[in-house]
Amino acid sequence: MLNINNLKASIDGKSILKGINLNIKPGEMHAIMGLNGSGKSTLANIISGRDSYTITKGNVIYKGESLLDKSPELRALEGIFMSFQYPVVIPGVNLTYFLKAALNAHRKHRGEDELDAMHFLKLIREKIKQVDIDEKYLKRAVNEGFSGGEKKRNEILQMITLEPSLSILDETDSGLDIDALKIVANGVNQYRTSENAFLVITHYQRLLNYLKPDYVHVLIDGEIVKSGDMSLALELEEKGYGWLEK
Amino acid sequence: MTLSHFQIEFEKMINRDYFSDEIHPMRKEAFAKFIQNGLPTKKWEDWRFTNLASITTKEFHLSEVKDSPKGTIDLSPYQIEDVDTIVIYNGHYLESLSSTPPGLKLLSGLEYLSSKKGTFENSDNSPFDLLNTAFMDSGIAIIVEPNTNIKKPLRLLFISSGKNHLMVSPRVHIDVEESSSLFFIEQHVSQNSESYFQNESVFISVENNSQLDHIRIQSNSESTTNMANLHVKQQADSQYSFFQFADGCTLGRLNIYAKLKGEGADCALNGIALSTGNQHLDHHIIIDHKVPHCTSSQNFKSILQDQSSGVYSGRTIVRKDAQKTNSTQSNKNLLLSKDALMHSIPQLEIDADDVKCAHGSSTGALDDEALFYLRSRGLDILSAKKLLVHGFVSEMIETIKHEPTKNSIHSQLQNWLIHYS
Repeated sequence: MLNINNLKASIDGKSILKGINLNIKPGEMHAIMGLNGSGKSTLANIISGRDSYTITKGNVIYKGESLLDKSPELRALEGIFMSFQYPVVIPGVNLTYFLKAALNAHRKHRGEDELDAMHFLKLIREKIKQVDIDEKYLKRAVNEGFSGGEKKRNEILQMITLEPSLSILDETDSGLDIDALKIVANGVNQYRTSENAFLVITHYQRLLNYLKPDYVHVLIDGEIVKSGDMSLALELEEKGYGWLEK
Repeated sequence: MTLSHFQIEFEKMINRDYFSDEIHPMRKEAFAKFIQNGLPTKKWEDWRFTNLASITTKEFHLSEVKDSPKGTIDLSPYQIEDVDTIVIYNGHYLESLSSTPPGLKLLSGLEYLSSKKGTFENSDNSPFDLLNTAFMDSGIAIIVEPNTNIKKPLRLLFISSGKNHLMVSPRVHIDVEESSSLFFIEQHVSQNSESYFQNESVFISVENNSQLDHIRIQSNSESTTNMANLHVKQQADSQYSFFQFADGCTLGRLNIYAKLKGEGADCALNGIALSTGNQHLDHHIIIDHKVPHCTSSQNFKSILQDQSSGVYSGRTIVRKDAQKTNSTQSNKNLLLSKDALMHSIPQLEIDADDVKCAHGSSTGALDDEALFYLRSRGLDILSAKKLLVHGFVSEMIETIKHEPTKNSIHSQLQNWLIHYS
């Protein structure tokens, strides 16, 4: 589904990614672990289309097509979703309206009829139960007055509503208490199928205990220095990152 | 329009045989003062950023009988459900198209003058107030008698039309007597009008324990100049709530002078200004807290496209005796183009020591993070921008209490956004 080949990227002339190779197939969940500044979020941002980076080498192929020259919205419509590390507050834009506009953009792209307000509301009322969000939030502006945990649950709500093929979870676990973490993990696990793929970016193995990724990669200073399975995450939790640094 | 052109029009007005000469002394006095002061220039502190070229470079003429409508006029584009409307067309009151809500007293300017024993409230705050007194036409007084709640909103619909370079000077007095309430809308629109100058003065008095909601919709054509001089006096425990939605005119300027004269008065002034092309939309607000225990708020937002410009100048004065004043000022502006220009000047003048006053101002472009967030959910860049622009002001519109008026303003905002690219 996603092939990243020798990807090098910099920001303001500073090299951040120094040759990333990653191959994600449908049904797989990959976790990328690493310390702050290792380039984890940069990788997520480049895949989702944030344009503040310069790609100096390599390419990213998604569903057989080159991804990097596509707009963020086209990537989204073609099935890439990123759960933001810091979800943005959108003043004055009602959550229901936003979700409906986003879903209908996806439906239109797929050649389906747009949902009217009534059918959409029926759908969204089902979805919010899965991430334990109170219905009153639907009337609020997007992320306005949401707690940290609520913002992250709202990201997962958007994921299960838009039904992406590839979901990138960028530090979705940061700032979550154990209950919120379980809800988020539950939402993700319910959405896992043999068709969908995930790229989970995190510092800690805590979330991974619930998600049980198929692969774990360690990113240090812009390079994947080690790949393995879930046992690698446990090893990192025990030993830290020091033993992997050059 | 030079002073000598104003002089010619003034002579015409004074010599009209169908005009009552009762007001002539008042007109003459105001006109003499106006001639003495002249029109403001950019050297005047309050007029530094207001370019009056749309007035000074044209010759305007009084609206004559021939400028009243020929045949029927189509009011359907300005339909607002559940309001009574008084129609003023090029300064002419169209009685056959007008209705007023039950319980409301409507007087002509002259009737009002005689009810006030020959003295009108006037103002020489600005040359445009003087000009209004000198040239006032379509004089209307709206009176809500004591202990009367007017349920149905009243709208004054001002229509400008034609190619005759008209100058009209509407004069409106609104008296909301003790323990009464009114929901008042003034709407300014144009029908094929070219080069039109409206200079409106409104005198509002909100008596003890009374309530006035005032909505102003300014959607004149882009060749219109709309000057509004609004004077508000509030007595004890009165509430005045003002909301302007402005998207019209080449030059639109709103001047509000609000005096809080009775304890417990609350004054809330709000406005949204949307400009494109070369439009200039201006707000000059003075709220004067004269007595203790009053609250006031100013909340103005402008969205500017192209090379349009705007001003927010808000001054809150807290007099020495006005202890326990609680006031806020907020001005937020969204610049959608590199060439757009906004002047934001929030000011506080505080002579009392036990008060709560806050002010804030911010001007910037659309938030890139928010834009990326929306795009990452599949919204194309233009839809995402429109959603953010809409969100910037929509919550203010939501506060309008009269549902049909709120919906009408919402759809005007949507229409404005259709042309945003």
